[in-house]
Amino acid sequence: MGSPRSVAEQTIQRFLTRANKDADVKPETPLFGDGIGLDSLETAELSSMLEDDLGSDPFSEGITAQTVGEILDFYSDDAQPA
Amino acid sequence: MIELLRRAASSRPTQDAVVSSRGSVTFAELLERAERVAANLTARDIDRFGILDDDPASVLALLAGSALAGSEACIYPLNATDEAIGETRERFAHTHFVTTRESLAGQGNLATADLFADHGEPVPAEQPEHAPLMGMTTGTSGAPKGVLHEWSRVLRTTTRIKPVDDQQWLLAYGLNQFGGLQILIHVVAAQTTLVAADTFQPRDALAAMRRWGVTHASGTPTFWRFVLVEMAGDGGSVPPLRQITLGGEAVPSGLLHQIEARFPTARVSQIYGATEFGQNVSVRDGVAGLPVSMLEGDGDVTFKVVDGELWVKSKSSMLGYYGADPIDADDWRATGDLVEIVGDRIEFRGRSSEVINVGGIKVHPFPVEERISTIPGVAVVRVFGRKNAMVGAIVAVEVIASPGHDTETIDAAIREACADLPPAARPRSIRFVESMSTTGNKISRSAST
Repeated sequence: MGSPRSVAEQTIQRFLTRANKDADVKPETPLFGDGIGLDSLETAELSSMLEDDLGSDPFSEGITAQTVGEILDFYSDDAQPA
Repeated sequence: MIELLRRAASSRPTQDAVVSSRGSVTFAELLERAERVAANLTARDIDRFGILDDDPASVLALLAGSALAGSEACIYPLNATDEAIGETRERFAHTHFVTTRESLAGQGNLATADLFADHGEPVPAEQPEHAPLMGMTTGTSGAPKGVLHEWSRVLRTTTRIKPVDDQQWLLAYGLNQFGGLQILIHVVAAQTTLVAADTFQPRDALAAMRRWGVTHASGTPTFWRFVLVEMAGDGGSVPPLRQITLGGEAVPSGLLHQIEARFPTARVSQIYGATEFGQNVSVRDGVAGLPVSMLEGDGDVTFKVVDGELWVKSKSSMLGYYGADPIDADDWRATGDLVEIVGDRIEFRGRSSEVINVGGIKVHPFPVEERISTIPGVAVVRVFGRKNAMVGAIVAVEVIASPGHDTETIDAAIREACADLPPAARPRSIRFVESMSTTGNKISRSAST
């Protein structure tokens, strides 16, 4: 098991594959609109996968991440909820 | 109830009424116990009481005795904790309580054996005209409710049941459940034998079916799913069932076909009933749902559909809920079951309390569950609402996989099978689990976190 951040990266990759989205994303790639183009249900699905794999997720904590990097930052050691 | 038992004890006194690993009890023995119960309840002026006893033969005698005494009996679920029993007793004002549970012994409670003892009290001659009975709802969506009945209404269709030979009926429902009470009544009316497993778990039930050669078995779809799982796992013999009945939950057509294939000599039927309306209707055509001919008919039980919900009018209906205002027992009542008329069929879509609100769109879990249940490798599935910060709730799936099947392959098959559903109805969370909690052998589809 890697760091929470690397687990989150793997979860996002798995989600993108399942959702038939472009898997070649970078931290600065926007989650919505011209980026990955997630809709609300896809975001909800990603949220539940992150929660299953990591025990918490930014969306459930009231943080509406706008980019892939903002999700990953949530799992950085100093950004984890207490 | 006492009249049915007296009839059985008169015509078949030495026949086993109940068999289990505890031994067997004949109809004559049961009647003797029931009459002593009636004598003791009458002498002690007990007009209502709760029962917690893990021996079905004892419960049968207590019920028949209570009917003869005109005392209102209420059976408690065996899996309830002492604390839950205490809370329920307080709500139902059960100052009298009959039990075999050691942790509840004393404390002013009565032991079943004490009511079976001959204390020299006279046995009442006849059951009073209005003999009450209180059932209890399963409590899958909140605290169980007390359901007030009268024996004469609950038993009104037993005149159609004729005595039979060579049948062994499995008890696969708790006796606190309406399905269990119906089996008990049927066995006494048909003067046949009840087989009680050590527990109501499908594994123990399967062992009992094999050990005692059960010929007739009735259980929830969840119960039968787990029986099929157990049979696939242990590779043992197929019980010699002649009739299989499913009820208590919506019946998926895929499960009907699986059961027909596994038990080729059994007749498979569905029953639809509820504690509140006091009797079952039976469907034997092998197609899921009810025929539309049951709508607005003039039978003992008739149905109508109001805004997608099934309503029922039953001549055996309850008289009301304990502690609530009395109802018109002969009026229409909402069942809480959501249905859709498709061709000549009333198809079930799930309970109204189980509807998943996905961002304002209502999703019925049962049709999704029905699709997934037919996927190879899916042994048991439940579909429910999972809370979600973005859209309120998402459609979530839990699966017990059959041995030897790859979960990634099943996961992909589930997504493919649901790909043509509206986006809100597609599963957004799929988890593989080792076991699933049930209440009364029914799967909970209530929303969870």
